[in-house]
Amino acid sequence: MKETTRETVLNILNDIRPDVDFTTETGLITEGILESFDLLTLIASLEDEIGMEIGNRDVNAENFDSLDAMVRLVERLTQS
Amino acid sequence: METNVLAWLEKTADRLPEKVAYHSETGEITFRGTRERARVIGTALSHRNLGANPVAVMLDKEVDTIPAFLGVVYSGRAYAPIDASLPEARIQNILRTLSPSAVLTNVSNQDKARRCLSTEVPVLLLNELSGDEDAECLEKNCRGILETDPLYIIFTSGSSGVPKGVATSHHSLMCYIQDYAEMMDIQEDDRLGNQSPLDYIAAIRDIYLPLMCGCSTHLIPKTAFMQADLLVDVLNRQKITALGWSVSALTVLTTLGVPEEYTPQTVRKICFSGSVMPGAVLRKWQQNMPDTRFVNQYGPTEATASCTYYRVDHLVEENEVIPIGVPYTHYRILLLNENGEAVRPGEFGEICVAGPCLALGYWGNTERTRRDFIQNPLNHVYDERIYRTGDIGSMGPDGNLRFHGRKDRQVKHMGHRVELDEIESAALALEHVNECAVLYDAGKEVLHLFYAGSANAREIAIGLRKTLPGFMIPRKMHCLETIPHLPNGKTDLSSLKDMMQTL
Repeated sequence: MKETTRETVLNILNDIRPDVDFTTETGLITEGILESFDLLTLIASLEDEIGMEIGNRDVNAENFDSLDAMVRLVERLTQS
Repeated sequence: METNVLAWLEKTADRLPEKVAYHSETGEITFRGTRERARVIGTALSHRNLGANPVAVMLDKEVDTIPAFLGVVYSGRAYAPIDASLPEARIQNILRTLSPSAVLTNVSNQDKARRCLSTEVPVLLLNELSGDEDAECLEKNCRGILETDPLYIIFTSGSSGVPKGVATSHHSLMCYIQDYAEMMDIQEDDRLGNQSPLDYIAAIRDIYLPLMCGCSTHLIPKTAFMQADLLVDVLNRQKITALGWSVSALTVLTTLGVPEEYTPQTVRKICFSGSVMPGAVLRKWQQNMPDTRFVNQYGPTEATASCTYYRVDHLVEENEVIPIGVPYTHYRILLLNENGEAVRPGEFGEICVAGPCLALGYWGNTERTRRDFIQNPLNHVYDERIYRTGDIGSMGPDGNLRFHGRKDRQVKHMGHRVELDEIESAALALEHVNECAVLYDAGKEVLHLFYAGSANAREIAIGLRKTLPGFMIPRKMHCLETIPHLPNGKTDLSSLKDMMQTL
């Protein structure tokens, strides 16, 4: 289960920004690697493809700075 | 009457020496400090025996960057701000067009600057420009500046694939800043929140309003615009009163919960520009910030950032199209048809601009300048230059101008001017792309690339990132057997458009 969430998120990310190595970057937001429109596309894709809703309070660097953080967020939001 | 921006700086530094002019999360500088630093940089540049051409400035969004711009002006030259994060190939293109007398940069960007230069142009480090000021030399430089001389050269997307450098004079800039200050009622106690990168046209307000009015500007880091809580915390903590932001930034923030969940507490004036403001977005801001003045501004870099403004005087409806309004004091607007005749009220025409705010032209490109800046066809008695914006407009019954899109293939995407032709030529330059066409889905704000060739989407995206800024990379790529053509051999854009809408 854990493996698939990670793969799904990684596929979405690679689709949006094929030039970024998401397995190693840990400052996607704080270092400005993702642009604001990347982030909006990402949120929309996560919501569409995983069938979840991400509230504005969850859109922050803590939850989006790395692939691992996003996987944790998705798991938290889909479990409850 | 002041004839250059340095007169504004000198006056305000005399009047408010200790007041902080520019601040950020990491630093601040007073008006006196700005003047001193700019004069030292101006002296150091003057003593280096550089040519007369502009100095390219490749620095970050920091308070030190502003005295660097002004220091170049003290040296008697124009400055050309360049975003150091652009791909090297693009910076090379810009520098080739500009042919700068020097590049002013910092330690972290110096290697990149060097790699982007083909000739022996000096690369100077900002922190090495120090020493005493040479008042006599600066005085001589300042006396040599005419108000019609270029102040800055700002680069923007060009359809031929080479960015165009728009050269703007001191006089044009000063006219616009005065008009804007008057219209937005910017006062000495205002605190501006800067959104635009400092190399982009919208930043001229944040840089020059403090010099003219004695107000201050807070430079907000780009990354804050993706973090609603952090951004609004900065605005509230810094007691920011006035914003001149792109429609795109406001739209993104609305999606992230500003101003509904996170409400700026001290902002009273918001001017938005860059693309068409959706009524639904503006309505949300109006409802949550009822005491704030909202102004829609329209205009291109070639007319010093603007032409017209519309002060929103009612709560707009979700589907309302907001007018672009009336010309600023120093501007005149003409609506012309294909034959260069004035159109009647209500009819569509190309929006053309006249007045002292017109740019001097495209740096090093007289051919393009002559095409876009022409003699007013309605004036047969004296020389009067007008700029053809390529935008379509009409005059409404209420005396407000309306905007109806472009007559060419330029689009506004995420607040940036994008020539679709430029993306196509960049894609065609890649290996294994034989043919292509780029279309824009304005509703969803997505660029689509249709191509024929054996390259895959990932290879194209990576390849394009080497020559184009991030916002110009098509988000959707579609590989086709062949690109459809019309009988005359041109790309069949309308059948591709149908394809795009069914995807």
